[in-house]
Amino acid sequence: MRLGGTMPSLRGYVPLIPPVTILMMFFALPMGMMIGLSFQDGDTGSFSLTSYERFFTDDLALDGFFRTIVMSGLVAVCVTVMSYPIAYFLARSTSRWRAVVFALAIAPELAGVVLRTYGWLIILEDQGFVNDLVIQLGLIDRPLPLSHNMFGVVVGLTHVLLPFGILSLLTNIQGIDPNLEKSAQILGASRLSVLRHIILPLSVPGIVSSLLIAFTLAASAYATPALLGGIKFSVLATMIYQQVLFYINWPYAAVMANVLLVIVLAIAFTGARLESRLNSKLHVR
Amino acid sequence: MSAAEIADIELVGVTKSYGGNVVVVDNVSLTVPRGEFVSILGPSGCGKTTTLNMIAGFHEPSSGEIRIRGRNQVGVPPEKRNIGLVFQNYALFPHMTVQENVAFGPKMKGQSKSETEEAVRSALKSVRLEGYESRYPKELSGGQQQRTALARAIAPRPSVLLLDEPLSNLDLKLREAMRIELKEVQQQLGMTFVYVTHDQEEAMSMSDRVVVMSDGVVAQEGRPSEIYQNPVSAFVADFIGKSNLLPVKQARDHDGRLTLTLGGGLSLVSERSGDIPANDITLCCIRPENVQLARKGASGENLLTGRVDKLVNLGAHAELWVDVSKDCLLKVQVPVRRLQGIEIGSHVDLLIESAAIQPLAH
Amino acid sequence: MSKLLSVGYWVFFSFILLFIALPMVVVLAASVSPTSHVTFEFWTWTLEWFGKLWTSKWLDPFILSAKIAAIVAVISGVLATLGAYAVAYEKCPGHDAIMSFLLSPLAVPQIVKGVAIVLFLSSAGLFRYLGTPGLIAGHIILTVPFAVRMIATSMYNFDKNLDRAARILGASWWQRIRYVLLPLIKPGIFSGMTFAFIISFNNVPLSLFLVRPGQSTLPITVINYFEYSLDPILAAVNVASLLFILAVIFLFERIGGFTVQIHGGSK
Repeated sequence: MRLGGTMPSLRGYVPLIPPVTILMMFFALPMGMMIGLSFQDGDTGSFSLTSYERFFTDDLALDGFFRTIVMSGLVAVCVTVMSYPIAYFLARSTSRWRAVVFALAIAPELAGVVLRTYGWLIILEDQGFVNDLVIQLGLIDRPLPLSHNMFGVVVGLTHVLLPFGILSLLTNIQGIDPNLEKSAQILGASRLSVLRHIILPLSVPGIVSSLLIAFTLAASAYATPALLGGIKFSVLATMIYQQVLFYINWPYAAVMANVLLVIVLAIAFTGARLESRLNSKLHVR
Repeated sequence: MSAAEIADIELVGVTKSYGGNVVVVDNVSLTVPRGEFVSILGPSGCGKTTTLNMIAGFHEPSSGEIRIRGRNQVGVPPEKRNIGLVFQNYALFPHMTVQENVAFGPKMKGQSKSETEEAVRSALKSVRLEGYESRYPKELSGGQQQRTALARAIAPRPSVLLLDEPLSNLDLKLREAMRIELKEVQQQLGMTFVYVTHDQEEAMSMSDRVVVMSDGVVAQEGRPSEIYQNPVSAFVADFIGKSNLLPVKQARDHDGRLTLTLGGGLSLVSERSGDIPANDITLCCIRPENVQLARKGASGENLLTGRVDKLVNLGAHAELWVDVSKDCLLKVQVPVRRLQGIEIGSHVDLLIESAAIQPLAH
Repeated sequence: MSKLLSVGYWVFFSFILLFIALPMVVVLAASVSPTSHVTFEFWTWTLEWFGKLWTSKWLDPFILSAKIAAIVAVISGVLATLGAYAVAYEKCPGHDAIMSFLLSPLAVPQIVKGVAIVLFLSSAGLFRYLGTPGLIAGHIILTVPFAVRMIATSMYNFDKNLDRAARILGASWWQRIRYVLLPLIKPGIFSGMTFAFIISFNNVPLSLFLVRPGQSTLPITVINYFEYSLDPILAAVNVASLLFILAVIFLFERIGGFTVQIHGGSK
């Protein structure tokens, strides 16, 4: 704060001291140490790539790596497809149901991941809700494998991440001038062609950002894969946890954490560039 | 010097530049006596707002001196200057009621509760806003917000009141009514007002004195009528009111009567030699209302004939664009009742009083 | 054709809403069902599971979680207000870069941050700070960026003319902060603090690494328990903590009035 306009400008940085110190101490420094550790030999402490070599030759680790990618990809697509109609409704509707739908779309965020995962377990497990129902209806006689596999995890994560998809699409669709749709309709376009030729192309940036945020958050999720996926379902996040707390192999945990970090940062970075390119292309003004 | 003669505000050679080469305000000097209503008028970017901000203390001048009631203000922060300021967007505190907004200044100055209440009451009374004390700004109309802002600014009894385009957010009708009210409040309080605006009508209708600024310098300073009738430059003539600015090819002086030769073989006689040497005259300014329709067959000097090119009826009067020579369109303002028989394409005779032709050097 | 399309759209739309609501409804029903079999026969519903929460097994982690969340909310509120003031309000030189730094923890997955903090604490010989202090530090790293973003938004939206108006009316620097800036950004600060509270209270990925025996947060206690059984008492715990969160939001809203800001107006 410059008091009379004559104070040295360094005073402006004083309020930054507490937050920056805390972030340095508990974020920047630990991150640096962790990255350093991943390049260290476990015994001698000298520079080595052994841990990385081990990761990329370890079948179990690679299996978990690819499962992370597949799982995150599936979740990203499901989240975006399911968010779109809700976001479109929220952006355009003026009905009084809008507030209800909005609350419903955002409320799960308050409940936390544990409650929701628990709910899905009750619904999807072998003696669960869905299996009970279809067996009672006589459609099948043995329970469907709905949990402790990829299906269950994708369902659970999609539910957890829907609010993020809805919010990123909502911001985008709200930015599309509704008059564009009106003028397309007046020019004779059907509802379907308005969707195909006007709204979808203009909401590509929103779709991209929804895909990206869902992908990165799914790749870093721990609770849902651990609980809905069962013991055999391993992804990077669960493997990192095991390395730290059961095998106490910290350099290896650091390697896995760095692999996850690189995936997430690479996707976030290319995504941000893609999005800004798309946005600058679409904004004629 | 007696107290009444001390100027409330004095600017002496005030200059404001950024980075050494961008000069926003260039060597401006100005004296505002106590109780005067002065307008600083100019287009956006002319330096008027910077000047105001320097008087208020938000900017420090690069050189020159600013004195308020005789005391140099350089280095004095805004909160210590005892100045009032009314903002263009009013800047009312949205979380405070009208009462709390108006009481803010007296409170900050450490006045007692009863003094503060009295100051609020009298300020609200002068802007005729009694009964609105407990309203929040959001609950007020634009005009009421404007009055609250004015009340807040005068409540601490500042030595001078600065107003930064305070009426520009109001619609036309309200703006015209507020002009009259502002002037009344100013006269009632006997307070010095410095009013910054780009709206020449506002400046003309309220001010005792108008300072026209352009490109960081004072282009002209004087009473409103003086500036309107005797603009010193094409800029001022064009900025204040409507005008015809005609290029002059040659000017000759005959004992205080000037003969001006224009393009297209036209020549006009002006009786205002002024102080510009004939050789320096490059333009002349003629106000549209000073051009009259002449009776058929009239004769004499400054009689022109032309064809009506455009005609705009404005209700009480009409504007004609008359083609008087090859590349000279003359704007003429005539009362609508004189329009009979005139339409686009009609030939008309025009008469210009020689005293209404103002020669200009630039 | 277009009729079919619009029917299809509404069917899909309803399916999504059902999908969103279903797990929450099921947990609610499970928490009042008499057995571990979830039932919607509401005349059999009972509150006995909630009664069973009243033991130190569930109360201790709940109290720890609430305590940590409250401390985290207050500290991140203060840190974020300071940071946002320098960056978004005073716009100190280099404010864009500093803002990116303050937001940078958002770019790193929580589990990665968790590994980093646990490695840091152990190699710096601070292992004994696992548990409450470690949880607070970890959660603050997580919540400060969110709070900075929310408070910075309200500072960016602050009309600087209000500060100038207060100044010309004679208010000192501290008076302007106290009477003008703080009251006007209060909703932003409180929404940031509420957000921090919820994030901390519900957190799993970071807490996993930072809890220690006897100092475990509620969500971690719950997931450790339900790896073994789907006891309806878990449903009751979850519903109770959701109700607690709602109560906290309500309380913070009463003090801070931030829904006003969320709906985009002031008074």
